[in-house]
Amino acid sequence: MDASADRQRGDQLCRDGRYAEAIEAYRKAAEGQEIPPADVCLKIARCHQHLGEHEHACRLLTRLVDAADTFTPWQAAAGLLEKIRASHEPPAKRRPRVALLGSYTTTQFAGMLRLAALRFGMAIDLYEAGFAQYRQEILDPGSGLYAFDPDFVILALHAGEAALPEYSRAPDDDVQAELERWRSLWRTLAKHGSARLIMHNFALPAESPMGHLAARLPGARLSMMHALNARLGEAAGGEVSIIDCERLSSLYGKRRWFDDRYWYLSRQAMTLDALPMLARHTAAVVAADLGLSRKCLVLDLDNTLWGGVIGEDGLSGIGLGAGPAGEAFVAFQHYVRLLKDRGVILAVCSKNNEADAREPFEKHPDMALSLEDIAMFVANWKPKSENIAHIASTLNIGLDALVFVDDNPAEREVIRQMLPEVEVITLPADPSGYVRAVDQSLLFEPASFTEEDAKKTEQYRARAEIARLEGESDSLEDFYASLQMKAVIAPFDALHLPRIVQLIGKTNQFNLTTRRHTLPQIQAFMNDADCVHLYLKLRDRFTDHGLVGLVIAKKDGEVLDIDTLLMSCRVIGRTAERAMMSELCKGARRLGCAAIRGTYVPSAKNAMVEGLFADLGFEPEGDAAADGERRWLYDLAGRGAIENRFIEVVSGDEEQAHDAA
Amino acid sequence: MTLHERLQSVFQAVLGDDEIALTDGMTSADIEGWDSVAHINLMFSIESEFGIQFEGNELAELPDIGALKDYLRQRLEGRSAA
Repeated sequence: MDASADRQRGDQLCRDGRYAEAIEAYRKAAEGQEIPPADVCLKIARCHQHLGEHEHACRLLTRLVDAADTFTPWQAAAGLLEKIRASHEPPAKRRPRVALLGSYTTTQFAGMLRLAALRFGMAIDLYEAGFAQYRQEILDPGSGLYAFDPDFVILALHAGEAALPEYSRAPDDDVQAELERWRSLWRTLAKHGSARLIMHNFALPAESPMGHLAARLPGARLSMMHALNARLGEAAGGEVSIIDCERLSSLYGKRRWFDDRYWYLSRQAMTLDALPMLARHTAAVVAADLGLSRKCLVLDLDNTLWGGVIGEDGLSGIGLGAGPAGEAFVAFQHYVRLLKDRGVILAVCSKNNEADAREPFEKHPDMALSLEDIAMFVANWKPKSENIAHIASTLNIGLDALVFVDDNPAEREVIRQMLPEVEVITLPADPSGYVRAVDQSLLFEPASFTEEDAKKTEQYRARAEIARLEGESDSLEDFYASLQMKAVIAPFDALHLPRIVQLIGKTNQFNLTTRRHTLPQIQAFMNDADCVHLYLKLRDRFTDHGLVGLVIAKKDGEVLDIDTLLMSCRVIGRTAERAMMSELCKGARRLGCAAIRGTYVPSAKNAMVEGLFADLGFEPEGDAAADGERRWLYDLAGRGAIENRFIEVVSGDEEQAHDAA
Repeated sequence: MTLHERLQSVFQAVLGDDEIALTDGMTSADIEGWDSVAHINLMFSIESEFGIQFEGNELAELPDIGALKDYLRQRLEGRSAA
């Protein structure tokens, strides 16, 4: 039977209320297709919903997001999601509260945003402001916006909101004045709440009354809009996220993006068909701000990084460099390297003899990637599912931090089946499409860029090396000593704030309370004299790990109460927490505290630190709460400071000397 | 699929109701959920499905399903004739 017959059989079974059988028929209709067609995803999702299987229904809806990029299927899926939400919470890693404030009709965008968010692991609790009410909502401290108390505010704007003339004699002043008007709105928002602002910048119109002259006339509105977008970006810095709608509308094609008929009819700022794209990008940025972006790209080799099979074709036989396909592979390697340079970890997972697999990296003149770029290199004949699980555990990151690319659809399918947490990108048959396939996935959307990001590969390579050394050392003490670890432990300062915010936002495993403090909250701690706040930078003989840990504690009478204690998973198992706690003890004494209180708040990811306070010599304070939350007390007066044996704490000045050398 | 079936499946998808069965005399008052927002969504999706564009006030006004079908037939025939 062909696919359309299976589909019709499914439709009939649905009408008869035989949903489980209908699902089978629909699955058969989609057989052999890597991503089922959108309408089939939707039909299966509906059947699951009828059967009360809401998690399955939601999973199919997330597949639809990848299968379609037009309005109608997305609208249908968004409608189904609404129905499900009425009675069930969709499965999600995070549940951010999001306020949507628009200058145009955002009703349709709101539904799409919920759907796209689900694809990135988030169930959004949404507040949608009234049509074009964004200024009023932000300026009125008693508005519904502030009552909702969102984690994120999305400002969805169209170009008509930029108060710039068609022509200006003083363009620089006019642009600056308009920038200040928006910044003042940002400041008001920051004053009344701690929400993170995500602003859509201005998609420039398709028509230019000044023709090409506009491009060399700073006073033309088109030129000023370009300048305004640029200055908004500069002013945003780390405080505000920008969705570059000017880029998106160009990418989409401005003549299609703008459809004035729908503007006149119902104040739609762009064609409804562009909303899925806008929603995906907006959701990806929210996800990135929540630390949900993927961390590691796992690469196949043969026909993924070069053409042909190295084990058969040999070094001179593989397609790399010369010819159209050879150039496409070089371009893909180059793109992957740029990802690595901004902090994405790279791993190789290939079915090959290891020596064969390494040879192009060592000898081929056209390789853009080198072995130093790869944090972990696995080439053997074991199943890839096994190797990928091994990569995740060695690098000490979750499977849900991995993205796998492989030209072979069969390998992709196996990983989807065996390791559903791993994202698998469907590569096109032609290597010239690889870059776009990875780029469009939006799985590596960065929230920020710090110096630590650029050093990540070095650190993860060192970890793989240390895993080896750990096996060689006689005792754990010998091992710790052999690392020759040095730490800088110092109070928070403005210089390190971006990294501190980043760590608080995304550390999951070694995080005792998982409190996601925002920048203003952290600044409040810094201004509080009764607070001890310390960051930890660590280096050893192999690598400089950068800023990898922090603790925030607040004086509560005689007791110093730990609000936040966390460490990057890069440096777990190195006694760095002892070094940090030892310094915290000094801080406690300075504030006249006789004891330190620690709280363990269980989360889905932090079971590894459940016993931490006991290990450090804390005593339980009362019984654990029903949800597992437990308080611990360290008797500082009686026991003295917590001991730090293996890490030499140096001052920030020495560290600078080290950096200079 | 016939024109009627294609139109019906657009209504079902956009309004999220597989039970919708269109008849010629139906207007927005007869179909649950067909409010002003749904109207925009429907008109846009009909344009996409049939590859046409409504012009001027056609977008805002829609007498009944029968008239819509006549209109679509006309537009599609006009295209195949050209």
